[in-house]
Amino acid sequence: MMILVLIAVLYMTTASAQENIDESCFHCHPAQVNEYKASVHFNKNTCADCHGGDINISGTVVSINVMHTNFTGKPTPVNVTNFCSKCHENETMVYEESIHWQRLKDGRSAASCTDCHGIHNILSSKDPNSSTHFENIPETCAKCHENQTRMQALYYGIQTDRFDTYKKSFHYKSYAGGGRLLAVCSDCHENHDTRQASDPKSAVNPANLPATCGKQGCHTGANNVFITGGKIHEEQSVKLLSIDAKKLVTYFYIIMILFELSFTIGLIFLGITSKFEIRRRH
Amino acid sequence: MAELKFRRFTVNQRIQHILFFVSFILLAYTGFPLKFPEEWWSRLMIESVGGFDNRTLIHHLSGLVMIGVSVYHVVYHILEKPRFDVLFNLKDLDDFKQQIKYFLRYSDEHPKFGRYTWKQKFEYFGAGFGAVIMGFTGLLMWQPFEAMKYFPIGLVQIANLFHTWEAVLASIAVFIGHFYDEHFDKFPNLSWLTGNIPEEELRHEHPLEYEEAMKNRVIETPENVEHTNKDNILIVGFAKLIFTMIFVAICVWMLWISYNVLAEAIKTYII
Repeated sequence: MMILVLIAVLYMTTASAQENIDESCFHCHPAQVNEYKASVHFNKNTCADCHGGDINISGTVVSINVMHTNFTGKPTPVNVTNFCSKCHENETMVYEESIHWQRLKDGRSAASCTDCHGIHNILSSKDPNSSTHFENIPETCAKCHENQTRMQALYYGIQTDRFDTYKKSFHYKSYAGGGRLLAVCSDCHENHDTRQASDPKSAVNPANLPATCGKQGCHTGANNVFITGGKIHEEQSVKLLSIDAKKLVTYFYIIMILFELSFTIGLIFLGITSKFEIRRRH
Repeated sequence: MAELKFRRFTVNQRIQHILFFVSFILLAYTGFPLKFPEEWWSRLMIESVGGFDNRTLIHHLSGLVMIGVSVYHVVYHILEKPRFDVLFNLKDLDDFKQQIKYFLRYSDEHPKFGRYTWKQKFEYFGAGFGAVIMGFTGLLMWQPFEAMKYFPIGLVQIANLFHTWEAVLASIAVFIGHFYDEHFDKFPNLSWLTGNIPEEELRHEHPLEYEEAMKNRVIETPENVEHTNKDNILIVGFAKLIFTMIFVAICVWMLWISYNVLAEAIKTYII
């Protein structure tokens, strides 16, 4: 009987050891813990894996004890990369080649792991609610890249109309019209290995464009030279006798359509009024 | 009362017209939703053809039909004995001036049109040039990477620009102009189906052609005599009501599209 009670007490204390850590954080950070409980990381790691602190200290004691060994309340982007790399070694290695990391390393602001993947609510990219799910990628990138104040503050000269210009392409229009999303940012710019277009290793470097566009399942066999001379987000200017041909076409058709509309509707109107006139005469 | 009827279009011409307008309507129906993919009507239209991929397929196939009919039409004109009554001449300018004078009540005399009015000639050549522009730019956009083997990417983007503008231009001409003149004003105008034009209408709309035909007297064979039936006035009235509603809806849609395309262009290129 005594042995049974002992076993029961032992079981209860060991069982509560794991829970206590989360519970102790939950007292003050219910929102964060709830987000974390819905994430892929739940039951795979603990709060302490990212935030540091001593997990062996009972949570029923004042929380400050939990935080006493190398606890990090709000990790810096560089810290984030470091502790993600503990498990996601390959991804971090690839990411550390990217322009985002280059800028971070220089002490400037740029996207780290959590900016794209989320913080406590990290979900698998297969989950439709994930910020890194295929269909959510344009919005995730646009979060920073469409933000004018943020892009200007960084002073990198990054244009903020990339999402808007992308929306005009067939890649997105198909999706907007209720069909498949054909290609997202990361399909051309890579996800972890995002580089500046001027970088020779970049997937969007003009020299690599035939390979990038010609990926299996996309424009297979796109090995022609002219795509290297064009940027998909930019309106390419074609000069016709030193006048921008696009402007010329647009002006021509604006005049044509205004003329046609007024002419067509005007003649219909005149035709109707002239009929009334005839009837009155009879 | 017996009425004469006159042959206006041959079977060959009627089939060309039917293929052309069916492909035109399908192209407009599957094309404009791509210009405005986030509008509610675009979603409805795309769903009605069974999804986005079907939309693309229908657009491409209709495009091929339109290119086929246009090429055939040129061949048909070359093989047929040459005719020049569809070409513009100075009389069209006089007719136009006279019609405007009549409309503005400076004159009581309506111009006497021949086989084709000046407006019909405009529509004919408009459709011809439109088909050429839409066909070439459409092919470039269908296979952009094939196109980029021969042209720079800027030209493919210009093809895109031309395709939208010409689509709006052609759709206004057809859905507002042509529908009003040929199908609303002359309702029910069945000459596109039967190939015949009633005597009354020919005398009223194309008096010169009528005079010419009566002078030659080649039409007075028994099968050219039609007995008019006035009993179907209810059916015709009801059909006209339905047609009017569809016509007004299409006009509103076209005006919405023109306004948005113009507003966007003015925002990007002028302001």
